[in-house]
Amino acid sequence: MNKLTSLQRKLVYLGGIILLFIPITLLGLPGTTAPASGMGTAQEDAGGKLTRLRKEYDLGESSLGSVDPASSAMSLVLLGFRGVATSLLWLQAQHEQKTKAWPELRATTESIILLQPHFLKVWDFQGWNLAYNVSVEWDAVADRYYWVKEGIKFLKKGVQRNQKYPQLYWYVADTTGKKIGRSDERVQFRRFFRDDPNKEMYPSGLDAGVNPDGKDNYLVAKEWFERANEVNDTYHNEQHIMARILFRGYPMRAQMDYATALQQEGLFDEVTRHAWEVGFNEWTTIYGMEEFDSPGGMLHMEVTPDEAARMEKGTKEDRELLRWVARYQDMTNYRYWRTRALAELDKNTVEAHRELYEGERAYLRGDFTASRDLLEKGMAKFDTMLKRYPDLLTDDPTIEEGLLGQLNWRAVLLLEDEPVPASYPLKELWDASQNRLPSVEEEFKRRKKTFR
Amino acid sequence: MSHDPVPFQILPALLQWLAVVGIILAISAVTLTVTSLATSGATGPLMIFEQIGGGIHDWLSTAGRRVWALTMLTFREAFRRKTLLVFVVFAILFLFAGWFLADTSPDPSMQIKVLVTFVLRAISWLILPVVLLLSCWGLPEDIRARSLHTVVTKPVYRHEVILGRIFGFSIVGGLVLVTMSVAGYIWILRQVPESAKSRLVARVPVYGALTFKDREGNDAAAGVNTGDEWMFRSYIEGNTKGRAIWDFQHLDQQLPSGAEDLLLESSFQVFRTYKGNIEKGILAQYILVNTDKKIRAALPPFEVHEFRDNVLKVERNLTDEEGKPVDLFNDLIHDGKLRVEVRCLTAAQFLGVARPDLFVRLPDRSFAVSYFKGIFGVGLMMVMIVVLGVTASSFVKGPIATILTLFMLLVGRMARPFFDELTSAQHMGGGVLESIYRIVKHLNPQTPLEDTLPNNIMQWIDSAGLNVMWALKYLFPDFQSFNMSEYVANGFDVPWSAAMLPSIALTVAYVIPWIILAHFSLKLRELEAK
Repeated sequence: MNKLTSLQRKLVYLGGIILLFIPITLLGLPGTTAPASGMGTAQEDAGGKLTRLRKEYDLGESSLGSVDPASSAMSLVLLGFRGVATSLLWLQAQHEQKTKAWPELRATTESIILLQPHFLKVWDFQGWNLAYNVSVEWDAVADRYYWVKEGIKFLKKGVQRNQKYPQLYWYVADTTGKKIGRSDERVQFRRFFRDDPNKEMYPSGLDAGVNPDGKDNYLVAKEWFERANEVNDTYHNEQHIMARILFRGYPMRAQMDYATALQQEGLFDEVTRHAWEVGFNEWTTIYGMEEFDSPGGMLHMEVTPDEAARMEKGTKEDRELLRWVARYQDMTNYRYWRTRALAELDKNTVEAHRELYEGERAYLRGDFTASRDLLEKGMAKFDTMLKRYPDLLTDDPTIEEGLLGQLNWRAVLLLEDEPVPASYPLKELWDASQNRLPSVEEEFKRRKKTFR
Repeated sequence: MSHDPVPFQILPALLQWLAVVGIILAISAVTLTVTSLATSGATGPLMIFEQIGGGIHDWLSTAGRRVWALTMLTFREAFRRKTLLVFVVFAILFLFAGWFLADTSPDPSMQIKVLVTFVLRAISWLILPVVLLLSCWGLPEDIRARSLHTVVTKPVYRHEVILGRIFGFSIVGGLVLVTMSVAGYIWILRQVPESAKSRLVARVPVYGALTFKDREGNDAAAGVNTGDEWMFRSYIEGNTKGRAIWDFQHLDQQLPSGAEDLLLESSFQVFRTYKGNIEKGILAQYILVNTDKKIRAALPPFEVHEFRDNVLKVERNLTDEEGKPVDLFNDLIHDGKLRVEVRCLTAAQFLGVARPDLFVRLPDRSFAVSYFKGIFGVGLMMVMIVVLGVTASSFVKGPIATILTLFMLLVGRMARPFFDELTSAQHMGGGVLESIYRIVKHLNPQTPLEDTLPNNIMQWIDSAGLNVMWALKYLFPDFQSFNMSEYVANGFDVPWSAAMLPSIALTVAYVIPWIILAHFSLKLRELEAK
């Protein structure tokens, strides 16, 4: 039988524990970085084997982004039940959304991301849910804007936790650009973005959580798209939202969205022209010259006519590469945006937009004489624009702008009891676009109804 | 509020309780009689009567002194088992609570909701596992360590042991609960920003009965369904004769004497069929009506602010629809009755209403009142767990008692809506047999079954099964009804008739049969068997 006394047994156990403790400690020793002293550099200690392996394969939490102590604590406390807890919380969030318990829903989403801080789809889904689905449940525009901001802030928090993955940067940009700039409430949202309606909370009118520098929403979106591309370049973590060739063009698209938004708001000055100029330059010199991999070899989309002719006459590989250039240009709508930006730099185009816009305002104000004059001049210039840049005839917003201008003009003629002449500028566009007319007429009526 | 606080009817509830207890007693009596006849022959049923008689004698001989002594013993045991370490977890949780809560929201009512819900949830989640483990392991541990033998050899009855355990654990749990709730209350007061402190109140609502008129002005059972997944609200169409009508009763007894105005508070929702002017809200209007004297006074229209307080102060002096002056308290409120008609003024837009969406707001009570009522709900739930745990541990060992109690708690807390839906008459698709039949025949739940004999037999068997299920569902207490946090978090006083009384009744209804069950289980248990 056992001849050891109780004390001896305990000492043996203690010895065993200490013996096991030594290799465990050596294996799991954490790495440290001592602060630099004087002119010296920081001293780094790689730590034990496990730490080195974690660093080598980027498995540590800190290698993904900033570490949230609450998140780590929750994961630790729940042991292996993190997945179960997340599923329960997800069900709870759905119930709270169904019963319109918004503060509770917001708190539950926070709990979910404490448990799943590096599951990008969770950030994407919940960020979208707050910015799009929850915001529309509120009737007041200011309330809707609050929830759009909540969605953006939520996604930005996701970026902090996952700094090396471009997706979340892109979602922040997309929500800032598209949700604020293109939703039904875009007029109010774009205004609120630079002048927040909650003056109690943000007396300066700027919510630093979404727009610290008071910029236009599309310019902020552009910065986030650029950061997404930078992260993509730096860490080589591929995004899984869309084809790379499309993904890389978003900063330039945001720049052109910015210029378009200025025009829609009736700004046809140097600021708008400069915005288009920047857009054109970036589109052709940065995006257009970026090398992309294709089955035909590495290519860039900005190809001059001479270069194209040379390639056409070149080897079989050159011709194949040219075909891929054309395919990629189609895929990204490259030629359209190039032409559009170029057209918008043309003084005639700027004047066409301005006159059609001001003509419509004059009509809505009841100043029919001025309206007719402006609209006829604008239509003539618009016609010239389409002849100079026929690629624009495939662009929906351009066609709608041309048709809207004509609807305003026809309404003025009707009020002045004058027939529509047999020939007039943009007649070809009118005849060719009859199938689009019902939807444009809806827009025409809506504008009349909401004019203030 | 996301639910309708319906006042509790004590008489129907009592009759229902008697029916369920009667069914269970009848099933038990039959089972016991058959079993005793099979095991002990003709003397079996006599032995049952003997045991029941003995049990009644035990209860008649109860001595408070002995029960108190056993209570103190239980209390000291729990103390020795370091139960109070739960305070350390509680303190740690609150020290780091800021980490786990959502970022500060600019909306004060949202901040309060999140903080109050967190505190009440944290208290329940910490206290319930502690009392569950204590109560489930107390008796089995005593039997295992044979310390119960020293008690039962003293002149005490078994039910006194049970009562001592229940009171002892409840006192321990109660002390922990009181300490935690006071700390939680102070924490809330400190966390709520100064600007939101004024919203830390307990609103006292008086709800009315809601009826509808359709767009033609005819009586309707409900408003329009606009397709909202959550069918809590019903909608009335704007600029039509559609009305949501609230009839308030007994206002004269509830309004403070000398009141010069009346507060009407609403939380309607809006459904737009077209965007319209998105910068302007949908317009609604109240019309106060004295139905006896046919006096109608329309109040100025107001914009509906969704998910926010829409409080309207109605002054005493009003004018009726003919422009004559009327007095709110003398002309419109008659015998304590007031009718409020609500209409939506914006054409082709809809106003969503539910019964608790409009109420007369009486003077607010202190937040502490509703908070501690909410804590009282947690306390009642704790007592239920203690009694259930002690009962379970009187006939099974600690681990099984824990699993059984936990199972009852989880089913009672989470599965009650499922049971209710299953046993309700509105349940589509029939019972088990009918469902199988429909699956095999590819019949959807809406298609009526043919009136044939086999189908009728099948439906009869299903309905018998559902009736058994109806009785069985009451074996699991509805633990969700103890959760009063929605009232507290939304700034409402916890109502007596809709929340406090049903919780107390529920506790009494379950505790009595459980204690009797525990008594007989321990009485008939062979303690040497461990």
